[in-house]
Amino acid sequence: MRVPTQWLRFASAAALVLGGAMAAQAQEIKLWTLNFANDSANQAFQSIIKQFQDANPGVTVKVENRGVDEHKSALRVAAGSDQGPDIFFSWAGLGLGGEFVKSGLALPMDKYYAEYKWDDRFLPVALTFSKQYPGGQFGVPYTFHGEAIYYNKALFQKAGITSEPKTYDELVAAAEKLAKAGIPAFTFGGTVNWHVMRLMDEILETECGAEKHDALMTMKASWAEEPCATKAFDELHRWTSKYFLKPFMGIDQSQSFNLFLAGRAAMMLEGDWLVGQLKGANRLADFAVFPFPTGGKRLYGFAEYNYISSKSKNPDVAARFLDYLESTPVQQAHLGDFGTISVNKDVKYTSTEPLEVAWRAIFGGYDGTFVNGDQAFPLNVTTEYWRIINQVATDSLDPKAAAGELQKFIANSK
Amino acid sequence: MSIRISAPTQGLVLLAPALLVYCVFAVYPMLDVAALSFMKWNGLSPNAQFVGLANYVQVFTQDPVFWQAVRNTVLWTVMSVIFPPAIGFALALALNQNIPGRSPLRALFYLPVIIAPIAVATIWRWMYDPFFGLFNATLTALGLQGLIKDWLGDRNVALYAMFIASVWQTVGFSLVLFLAGLQNVSQTLIEASRIDGAGRFEVFRYVTLPALRPSITIVLILSIINSLKAFDIVYGMTGGGPAQSTQMLALWAFTQAMQLGDFGHGAAISVVLLLITISIVIPYLRWSRTHRETNP
Repeated sequence: MRVPTQWLRFASAAALVLGGAMAAQAQEIKLWTLNFANDSANQAFQSIIKQFQDANPGVTVKVENRGVDEHKSALRVAAGSDQGPDIFFSWAGLGLGGEFVKSGLALPMDKYYAEYKWDDRFLPVALTFSKQYPGGQFGVPYTFHGEAIYYNKALFQKAGITSEPKTYDELVAAAEKLAKAGIPAFTFGGTVNWHVMRLMDEILETECGAEKHDALMTMKASWAEEPCATKAFDELHRWTSKYFLKPFMGIDQSQSFNLFLAGRAAMMLEGDWLVGQLKGANRLADFAVFPFPTGGKRLYGFAEYNYISSKSKNPDVAARFLDYLESTPVQQAHLGDFGTISVNKDVKYTSTEPLEVAWRAIFGGYDGTFVNGDQAFPLNVTTEYWRIINQVATDSLDPKAAAGELQKFIANSK
Repeated sequence: MSIRISAPTQGLVLLAPALLVYCVFAVYPMLDVAALSFMKWNGLSPNAQFVGLANYVQVFTQDPVFWQAVRNTVLWTVMSVIFPPAIGFALALALNQNIPGRSPLRALFYLPVIIAPIAVATIWRWMYDPFFGLFNATLTALGLQGLIKDWLGDRNVALYAMFIASVWQTVGFSLVLFLAGLQNVSQTLIEASRIDGAGRFEVFRYVTLPALRPSITIVLILSIINSLKAFDIVYGMTGGGPAQSTQMLALWAFTQAMQLGDFGHGAAISVVLLLITISIVIPYLRWSRTHRETNP
């Protein structure tokens, strides 16, 4: 069979035009995030991406997951190339997330906040971090986590503790009762430096109050000159020496959790994500939760954000995806997959599970937040903060000298 | 038509690809790190800022962990030069005898060498677990609870606990090199010395040991180099903790650059480590060569 030459030419031209048009329409956005903590989060994310792609023909969302350190390293490498992500995960606040914003790697998103009315969509406590940076609004809230004290109800009962501590003194009294009953009050994992740090952060808020605590964490006040800072290290030492399950420096937080599950200690200072882990262990009924009694009006917690890269070639599509991810129907459908509460304030909660109800009460009971030390300090100061906390915890440094030691490092690093 | 190439040219041609790769992946990064040690750069901004010797001043006078890392690295190196080679040497002497099961035993002792250090770290971390680990469980079973330790969490014990894991892994390396050396010792010389009335100790002292000098040099040099750059096992077992008490120079350089984003500080530590390595290895190599020439 002979095909006329002009038909072949026409077909070739048509294929070229069609191919070009398809290439122009096909848009890929790369999203770099952390490894998901559990399979349900992974499945939820895959399902959300599929639905978004179905609703946006020609758009592909490619997710790359990494461990925390690998993710940070990958972002640094990407900073020097054009092959980086369109959207990247990072923590909110001036510490870890702020580093990328400060370096110009995140795109100001004021335009998208106005277009998608995000200011009206998110919980104020989660949203506030986007406004901390000079030069605009950066990042979109992804999750918001609070941290509080989980306790083993049976061990509290055994020690004769009849109600949840409402003040710091009551918490110490509870720890003393537990110690008398031969039960270590807390379990912590010391190999991951940030675990014991949580207790120090809470004690610092308790001893110094919100204003001084913030001044210390932003390094505007001198640690050496604030007696409350020294008192906080002293208190930390009291807890680590008298009320911790020992040994704790040679185990990590997951081993610590297993010991908590096994009833080896009465309390654990953990985030709302622990509810999922307790659910997985089928032990929800054995534990309850109460906020660390700092005496203040701020909840200990942190937000995680997704930022659009300043190098993204498709920032509009990236913003459209983030809008979809944080939309009310999507957040409602995947409630609990990424955290106990959603950052979307229009989501409705129906669970009657006591721990989830307790967490909702905790989230609703505070005016503001204070973040973990490793998200407030620059990275080098965080590393020194951990070293000093661990030295105090292992009796290698006099607690009274600890605040001065930290201040010396801060002064040198400025 | 045939092209005649002189032997030196042929050598250079054959060497060129490897030399190119070496220059690109070893020499250039080394020079770049040296240059970076005079810069301030966070790995994110497009430009690095020249700061002269500021990074070195910071490392030597303001870094609270640097001197701890130096002490640990020196101690680790001294222990690495003594224990694994000594144990490897003793094992090599034993396995050089005609004993039953010699070949499987050689393989058994060499096996840990082929395991990735990070896997070794994981295995030993499990064994050192203070609550469920092999060592504390065994001590408990034997009624020796008083000896139980937080092996990797006690700053007075952690470095030595890690070192035992390192010995377990590296002793096979020394063993193989010493075995190869022992098999090259001339049997004629040994027999001649015995005919001359030498006992076992004299044979060992005056025949075997001198013949093993090249093996001993190689083992010691490689032990020094490997111990100075100790990284994986520390990273995997303690991450430098508790409270940076097991920190090493190589890991601290990595931490500063790749985790804290202070590339200038990390590069300065790397340069210090390089200088320490060079200052130990080059004099030893020169001494060894001179000694060999004067006592062939």
